[in-house]
Amino acid sequence: MKKWLSYGILCLLIPAVIIGGALLFGDRQYAWISLCVAVFSCVPFFIRFEKSATDIKRLVLLAVMVALSVVGRIIFTPIPGFKPVTAFVIITAMYFGSEAGFLTGALSAVISNFYFGQGPWTPFQMFSWGMIGLLAGLFAEILKKNKLVLCIFAVVSGVLYSLLMDVWTVLWADGFFNIERYLAAIISSMQFTLIYAVSNLIFLLLFAKPIGKVLERVKEKYGI
Amino acid sequence: MKAFSDYHPLVLLVYFLSVLVAAMFVNNPVIGLLALLGGILFCIMLSKRSEAAGNIGFYAPLFFMVAITNPLFSHNGVTPLFFLNGNPVTVEAFAYGAAIAVMVIGVMMWCKCYSAVMTSDKFLYLFGKAVPKLSLVLSMALRFIPMFKRQTHKVSRAQKSMGLYSSKSFIDKIKSSMRVFMAMLSWSLENSIETSASMKARGYGLKGRTNFSLFRFYPRDGVLLSVCAVLLGVTVAGIITGDTAFYYYPRISELTFTPLAVAVYAAFGIMSFLPFMIEVKEALKWKYYISKI
Repeated sequence: MKKWLSYGILCLLIPAVIIGGALLFGDRQYAWISLCVAVFSCVPFFIRFEKSATDIKRLVLLAVMVALSVVGRIIFTPIPGFKPVTAFVIITAMYFGSEAGFLTGALSAVISNFYFGQGPWTPFQMFSWGMIGLLAGLFAEILKKNKLVLCIFAVVSGVLYSLLMDVWTVLWADGFFNIERYLAAIISSMQFTLIYAVSNLIFLLLFAKPIGKVLERVKEKYGI
Repeated sequence: MKAFSDYHPLVLLVYFLSVLVAAMFVNNPVIGLLALLGGILFCIMLSKRSEAAGNIGFYAPLFFMVAITNPLFSHNGVTPLFFLNGNPVTVEAFAYGAAIAVMVIGVMMWCKCYSAVMTSDKFLYLFGKAVPKLSLVLSMALRFIPMFKRQTHKVSRAQKSMGLYSSKSFIDKIKSSMRVFMAMLSWSLENSIETSASMKARGYGLKGRTNFSLFRFYPRDGVLLSVCAVLLGVTVAGIITGDTAFYYYPRISELTFTPLAVAVYAAFGIMSFLPFMIEVKEALKWKYYISKI
């Protein structure tokens, strides 16, 4: 009963917040809706994670992977865009599954922004990195086996991240989806897209094998 | 200067969310300017004086970039200034660009203050009860970060003292950092498993365990929360009735000054300047006490 009540509240609350905001904020409604979508799309994952009987070992390993990607982002602060976060998210997803991938991505965004500054972009980073983790988890087996697929996935996820963040830029600046500005944003962020893709490629090629070996070993040793 | 950040985390969260949402989504130049001014003043109180020049150097160009590029992408509006490649560059688009720039910088200022005031311990305190597992992962990750930094330092010093990778070549450096990183990874995974075993042994996740927290809800927190609620109520009322509605396209509308609109501007103004006023009050009090010694 209590469970159904909480689901019912969620099912009513989420549309109410979105519609209410859209009515209230008139011509900035698209920015509001996109922010809501980014936040609320993370909610089901978080709820599932909370409800599931997850082992403490898994929780702690997840924390380690999140911390590693945050440390990576901090270490590479001097080179803009060149960050190992996406690579770590993908590696975690490959060895611990989609859910772990999504959570590592989303939580890395929250935590690293404690260091780099929170902002309205945080939910979008959570969403983008989380989705990349989710996708990597779905293709985990083939990513582990085939190096070429891994390379393609690294490049695609870098481009995907950039495209998703550009959607946010446009919605925030224009209040609606201005296709002209979106194209301009894609072109002006081209160098970053390139750096994202290249850094993902480098970090995945460097780390996927050795980290994978360590993770497999830990999994086997402690029976996770 | 941290009088405002001493309030209860719940009050702070409610306050920041209301100001941020209003600043981000209410399309009214007065509210935008009030949010920007309040944010700047609060930021000045929070940050060091040496950071000021750098901040101005960053935000002033950003302002002009956002304000001036808007007419290039948006050709709405009915008052063309001149034509560029056959597209009209309109007054309305300029005005809208300026308004967006005010909004963007204002929100960035408030986010800066939010980061300074809502530290991770407050964040975890607020969400710890609602999402215990996630906040456990968050707090452990936060604790691992400084630990990893220390451990990395230790491992690399040990490697150096063994005489490994002491040459200055680039490849050697990459190889050595790779080796240090892998050692660190194995160590931290094993270490974390040990932590989890210890947590299990102490009954983590069993029923009836309580958490320690530093935060208590004092009467003054209640006062600030109710003040915020009233001010927010007035602001929302103004938005619902449309008294503060403002349009840039197709023609810039005129600012309305109905009694309710004035009340909304006053309410939001007080709300936006609240942290600054609290900080100033505390600073004056401090000066006064010092002068008595």
